[in-house]
Amino acid sequence: MIPVYKKLAINELANTIRADLEIEGNRVGLVTSIDGNQLITLMLNTRSGNTVLYQAELASDSYTSLTTTIPQLHWHERAIHDLFGLIPLGHPRLKPAIINESCETIFAPLRETAKPISDKLLATRDFEYLHISGEPIFELPVGPVHAGIIEPGHFMLSCLGEDVLNLEVRLGYLHRGIEKRITEIPWRKARFVAEAAASDTACANALAHALAIESLLAVEPSFRSQGLRTLALEIERLAMHIGDIAGMAYDLGYLVIAANFSRLRGTALRLAELLSGSRFLRGYICPGGVVHDPDRLLSEIQRTTKNLRENLKPALDFFISNPAVYERLRNTGKLSSSLASEFGMVGVVARACNIAYDCRQSFAQGSYPKNHPTIALQQEGDALARTLVRIAEINSSLDLIDTILSDLPSGTIGSNLPVDLPANAIGIGIVEAFRGELIHLVITDKAGSIKRYAIKDPSFNNWTGLAIAMRNNVIADFPICNKSFALSYSGHDL
Amino acid sequence: MIELIAYLCKQGLATQKKICPELDQAALGLPAIDPLKPCLADECNNYEQICPTNAIEVKYEDADKFKPEVRLDLGACIGCGLCIANCSNGLITRNLSTQNATRNREDLILSSAGTQTKSADKNTNSTKNMFKKSLAVRVVSTGCSACDLEIGAAANPIFDMERFGIQVVASPRMADALVVTGPVGKGMHKALIQTYEAMPEPRLVIACGTCAISGGIHRGGYAEANGLAALLPVDIFIPGCPPHPWSIINALMMAMGRSAQ
Repeated sequence: MIPVYKKLAINELANTIRADLEIEGNRVGLVTSIDGNQLITLMLNTRSGNTVLYQAELASDSYTSLTTTIPQLHWHERAIHDLFGLIPLGHPRLKPAIINESCETIFAPLRETAKPISDKLLATRDFEYLHISGEPIFELPVGPVHAGIIEPGHFMLSCLGEDVLNLEVRLGYLHRGIEKRITEIPWRKARFVAEAAASDTACANALAHALAIESLLAVEPSFRSQGLRTLALEIERLAMHIGDIAGMAYDLGYLVIAANFSRLRGTALRLAELLSGSRFLRGYICPGGVVHDPDRLLSEIQRTTKNLRENLKPALDFFISNPAVYERLRNTGKLSSSLASEFGMVGVVARACNIAYDCRQSFAQGSYPKNHPTIALQQEGDALARTLVRIAEINSSLDLIDTILSDLPSGTIGSNLPVDLPANAIGIGIVEAFRGELIHLVITDKAGSIKRYAIKDPSFNNWTGLAIAMRNNVIADFPICNKSFALSYSGHDL
Repeated sequence: MIELIAYLCKQGLATQKKICPELDQAALGLPAIDPLKPCLADECNNYEQICPTNAIEVKYEDADKFKPEVRLDLGACIGCGLCIANCSNGLITRNLSTQNATRNREDLILSSAGTQTKSADKNTNSTKNMFKKSLAVRVVSTGCSACDLEIGAAANPIFDMERFGIQVVASPRMADALVVTGPVGKGMHKALIQTYEAMPEPRLVIACGTCAISGGIHRGGYAEANGLAALLPVDIFIPGCPPHPWSIINALMMAMGRSAQ
């Protein structure tokens, strides 16, 4: 997809975004910079599928914070500060977000090399918790290394008795410099780095990357490869949703069902292996199409899907019809619909708050224009609603896999791509990953090499939602709340 | 309740009986080198453009231009399969084994000049039998979560690593082995070293996955994510991106001084 490109002055930016957000269906996709000399804002319209990219030049290292009037940009501005050393003046809680404060030497890695980083800028790198004072308050630090097999992140829970008054999420431990690396290597190898942003979302990342590159090259992949891509994406969604429900059952202490779900996730991963050779669908989707055709194995994929569906249905019923599960999840980690839309929630979290946003419909590609699933909606915004949305999506993914397999177009799977990318071009790829809206943005320079590559993982939006939802819940519900959001650390930290 | 029990009985036993079998034919696996096939590097000569992590090296050391030595570093390979698909002479082939873990970094480098003599086993006697019956593992993730999911899968009913006495524990104080996944970027240096220091001795360090071995796709970037060896002494290397659960179990059994057979 190629966004409509508009230039404007920096002092008009906040008003323009605010005016855009008034129009129904509009939302902020991504705010970032190219090399620290400008701000770029990607606006999406979820009704029409139109996208607009605003670019506003900056005269200095600071600008008036947009967060003060558009609260959902608070995390974007913190990330811009980390990556470019730009200071949003008036930001209420400016602190590191995607590069941990312990990494002083790698501050502002994407900034134009000619622009020095002053000591004044480095002094803005302190991470200060939001302290809640009072004698009975106690603070519980958790992480960054957690008890189980999970990615690292630090949580500070300020509690009054059992109740959590505030949760502060501190990330950035996993920063690996993905965005910069993609600009340093030949663009044909870039897909491997793009999908390593978060490997539980490897297929969605590869697809968003491929869509962004294809929009630059004006290449349309063959119908067969589009079908196979959609198949891959739905298999990933299926496997990860089953995995998340298994984790939830485990955290609730329903171990029989947890073990059963983790076994069934193995069957879903088997589908991925049959399709692509990799249990995580790594390296399967490439710009121009897919890498190989599973041809002979398609009937086995069909059989395995049928088998999975038969075994999965009773397990899901046992899980959700258990009164203990129902009671524990209901009203836990509640996020109101108004806050969810104000802070730009996406994916399962948004749909559990009755926000009908699914990129498979709004920005349909591949097989989705023909067979997009109905959007799974829930009203309550609690952990139960999020679990019910996941279950509905497991079922719709199974249906979609069946539909695509029964009606897969014949033809080739790849296309010949030009050697070079076009100069001074902008392309974006928007994909509904299993967590929600995933955006890849690519901008080339005048020589046709990638100048800026930006990734916006769905977790980037939703971490704020977890912090809000945790308020006034008991501390023992934190694992359940966290699991019901099931957010990515690596996709956020990049 | 009765329905649940009936359902579970109908599901039967999921656990695989054969320990560390070969991967399924549909899997990509890792590359291997067939030393009997000559390299036609002059004809294809595109390995540099193909390999995403530059894990392949072609050398003309013996001045015999027709017989270049091909070296392939499994510790840098992400298993994309492109070299296998593009090798015109079948020199680089598919390796479906799940027993690729090594105790030495150099043993991961394959060469067409024949298999190198394996370097001496550096396993010390003090740890050799100590963990034979049980191994408590602490996992620290510093990467993209694929390896973490595979370690989690190794504990599921299909692979069930607890039957071999391997248990994932919640604190470094109880751990015998530290399993690290991911390329260990700068943000995790401090937390990782603190975890290591909190473990009682003797302790083992296992690098799980290509990123932990060499930094993989992230090597050389500004975030200093160049693998585990730069920070801690590594006892066992598990290649793969991510390694299959059986490869992980095989490596952990190696750490216990047990063979997979």
